[in-house]
Amino acid sequence: MIKLDHVSKIYANNTVALDDVSLNFAEGELIILKGVSGSGKSTILSLIAGLLKPTQGDVVVDAKHISKLPDHFCSQYRRDNIGFIFQKYNLIPLLSVKENIALPLVPLNLDEDVLHVKLEIVMKMFRIEHKKDMKVKNLSGGEQQRTAIARANVNDPKIILADEPTANLDEKLSLEFIQILKALKSSHKTIIVATHDPLFFELEFVDRVVEINNGKLVCS
Amino acid sequence: MFVLALLVGILASFFFVENSLKYELESTLDLQPQIIITKQKAGRDTTVDEKDINVILNIKGVNDVLSRVWGYYRFKDKRLILIGIDTFENQYDDILAKITKSTELNVSSMLVGEGVKKLFSQYYYHDYFNFILPDLSLKKIFIAGTFKATTKLESNDMVVMNKDTLRTIFGYQYNEATDLAVIVKNPEEVASIMVKLQNIFPTYKIVAKKDLRITLENRFNSKSSIFLILFIISLFTFFMIVYDKLSGLSSTEKNEIGILKAIGWRIEDVLQARFYEGLIISLSAYVVGIMAALLYVYMLDAPLVKNIFLSYNDMDISLPFIMDYETLFLLFLLSVPVYLFATIIPSWKVATLDADEVMR
Amino acid sequence: MLLTPEIITIYILNLIFFIFASVAFYYSVKIVFLYDKNAMSTLQYKLQKQSYLVATIIKFIFYTKILVFLFFIFTLDDIATILPGAMCGAGVVNATAYGTYLLILKIINLYIFAYWLVLNTQDINSEEQVYLKYKFQVYMAVYFLLVGEIILESLMFFSIDTKSVVDCCGTIFSTTDGTYMAKLLSVDPMILLATFYTIYSLMICSYILKNKYIFSLLNLLFVIISLVSLIAYFGTYIYELPTHHCPFCLLQRDYNYIGYLLYIFLFIGTFHGIVLGLMDFSVEEERKKYRISLFFTTLYLLFVSYFPIAYYIKNGVCL
Repeated sequence: MIKLDHVSKIYANNTVALDDVSLNFAEGELIILKGVSGSGKSTILSLIAGLLKPTQGDVVVDAKHISKLPDHFCSQYRRDNIGFIFQKYNLIPLLSVKENIALPLVPLNLDEDVLHVKLEIVMKMFRIEHKKDMKVKNLSGGEQQRTAIARANVNDPKIILADEPTANLDEKLSLEFIQILKALKSSHKTIIVATHDPLFFELEFVDRVVEINNGKLVCS
Repeated sequence: MFVLALLVGILASFFFVENSLKYELESTLDLQPQIIITKQKAGRDTTVDEKDINVILNIKGVNDVLSRVWGYYRFKDKRLILIGIDTFENQYDDILAKITKSTELNVSSMLVGEGVKKLFSQYYYHDYFNFILPDLSLKKIFIAGTFKATTKLESNDMVVMNKDTLRTIFGYQYNEATDLAVIVKNPEEVASIMVKLQNIFPTYKIVAKKDLRITLENRFNSKSSIFLILFIISLFTFFMIVYDKLSGLSSTEKNEIGILKAIGWRIEDVLQARFYEGLIISLSAYVVGIMAALLYVYMLDAPLVKNIFLSYNDMDISLPFIMDYETLFLLFLLSVPVYLFATIIPSWKVATLDADEVMR
Repeated sequence: MLLTPEIITIYILNLIFFIFASVAFYYSVKIVFLYDKNAMSTLQYKLQKQSYLVATIIKFIFYTKILVFLFFIFTLDDIATILPGAMCGAGVVNATAYGTYLLILKIINLYIFAYWLVLNTQDINSEEQVYLKYKFQVYMAVYFLLVGEIILESLMFFSIDTKSVVDCCGTIFSTTDGTYMAKLLSVDPMILLATFYTIYSLMICSYILKNKYIFSLLNLLFVIISLVSLIAYFGTYIYELPTHHCPFCLLQRDYNYIGYLLYIFLFIGTFHGIVLGLMDFSVEEERKKYRISLFFTTLYLLFVSYFPIAYYIKNGVCL
């Protein structure tokens, strides 16, 4: 379903983030991208999300060559298919929980009721609806994380990408996140988590662990 | 946004005042006869002789000729307009016609406009006033009443009295008049009659009403053009400021846009959001500016701006409420699209930020 | 040399148009010559982003242009009051050599800009970006038309002389001079009407047969025959005066501003019809455009036909 075909990415300052990486992900898989910071795993996520275009090679998702799509379609693809949980959450602090979660849906100009229903579903799922009108900057770390996850799910995406999701969490919250991950896995979404947190490497519901080092795949 | 509102407000007040005054003056103008004949001596207006009337009446197309006796009288730094009427003549001016019908003005009484009444009362002239004649003798005229004319401009400083009495006050001879008013019912014929008149009286000054109107309009236009140029210069500066301000984005803003793009907002979506933002700002500035101007002009009576226009009269006039849609359209075009154009490039710069760069 | 606040406003907006259109032109040239769909370099991404800028600028210019066009018409009427002899916009247009050409150019530009916008929408909605280079090439040509219009407009306002008398619409549109206009107006109204209604019926036929090229062409012809028949025949029934042929006086309050309605209907209807033959659309889009086109042209037809019929019913005779 997701295919990286001999992908290389060199940034403007000539750093080589990825060097001839080829990967395949099947639908419904939960994959952990293992590697230290700077190894290139975040770049892979960005490429799959269409946030970056590869310097060489092709990224194909669901038979769509997203690396070749013009921005207009790329963003649309991202909106329709991807839910991204960022390392720093990237929530907008002055907006409320509800508003933040609704953001991906704003350009769709949905009916008030439809929007409301979608929001309710996802807020309930991640147990954040009791704080829906509170400004994000006033939330605790765990609540912010759940908001970020809710936002990533509000458009019911096929693919969920998480970049170092537990980097800023204590053990209790990390375990909570893993529980959420388990729940998401059972909904047949393709999930890719980039992390160097060892908590993830031994989980039994993980399908694969792929290791990246210095922009190259480490054969296992 | 407030700067724009202020600019719009100032320009709007200017236009409103101009429109109101224009309306007043045009209404006054409408009441004038089509052709006015004055004699000139050394390039300055002087009196005409009533015996010319018969010659003019013989011209085909001329319906009537009236001799007018009117002039200015200075009292305590204010200038009053004195108008003489003759109860037996046809009147062209509706107000004057009404007056001649309603009141019996005898030779020693007059009707005064509201502004004049106030002025006289200030100096304790409640029932009569002493005019000083050219030979320095006094003539006492009783105030028979006040009148309200159709336009404020007219009535405020006007005094109406018997023609012959006025002649005495001005020191005219018995058949002298200030000017002759020629009534021509058919507007198409005015031009040809003027030519004929000029041929008969080569040295007289012959002015048509339409020329007056055009002169007035041009005078207004030149005044407002100067003001408009000032406005444009400030608008241009404003444009530069807006452009500059919006181009320098704070890092939080950049971050936010990056986030939006990362979660699936396309470039058009960001551009659209910015456009609506700009639209709301400029529209509200426009509305606020117009409201402020309306308040300033029609409630507070436009203290400073009015004086730019009103050079001809020292009396104070309150401005009638005139709503001109074209002016509103013009102000709209000068504010909203201009602001929006200023936002295009900055918004575009923002919208095309690479989401990824911003979030690293 | 005429300098009223209205004219100054138009000059300012024209200046803004000129500056931004030139910026757009600069980028269009870059894109046309440098863009390569298959390359992935930073240059290409930059160009792609710049294409958004050009598109945004052109959109802004078009929508503002519509407003300014309306304002222009008001201004013409305004100037008519200070121009001796002119009693409506027609006199002002005719006051200089540039007036008529300017007006025609303005109308053509409206159609062309609208066409560009449709082109742009189609391009953006297709994954392969079929019209990318083409639309910028079109813009490069359009730019010169826009600049031409601005120059003509400035020249026209510059050379209006408030001291010389101009013809009023009665003279311009008279049937007795040997002018072009007179010849046009002395054509037998029956022929004009027949042409008018025939073209409309043919439009309906081509709609049923779904031949978009013929439909497009017919719409173009419809614009021309509508304007001619309006001036020569229908207008006289709106004015209820057999010699009043002016297309401008319709825009005045005396006639309830009906001119605006008629011209807007005509523009929307014929534009959607013409554009069908110039591009490929999805089936749904095509259907929508057919409908809009027919709706507005029919509205126009009904409106203009109402006047002679109503007159006949009221008075029992034709003019």
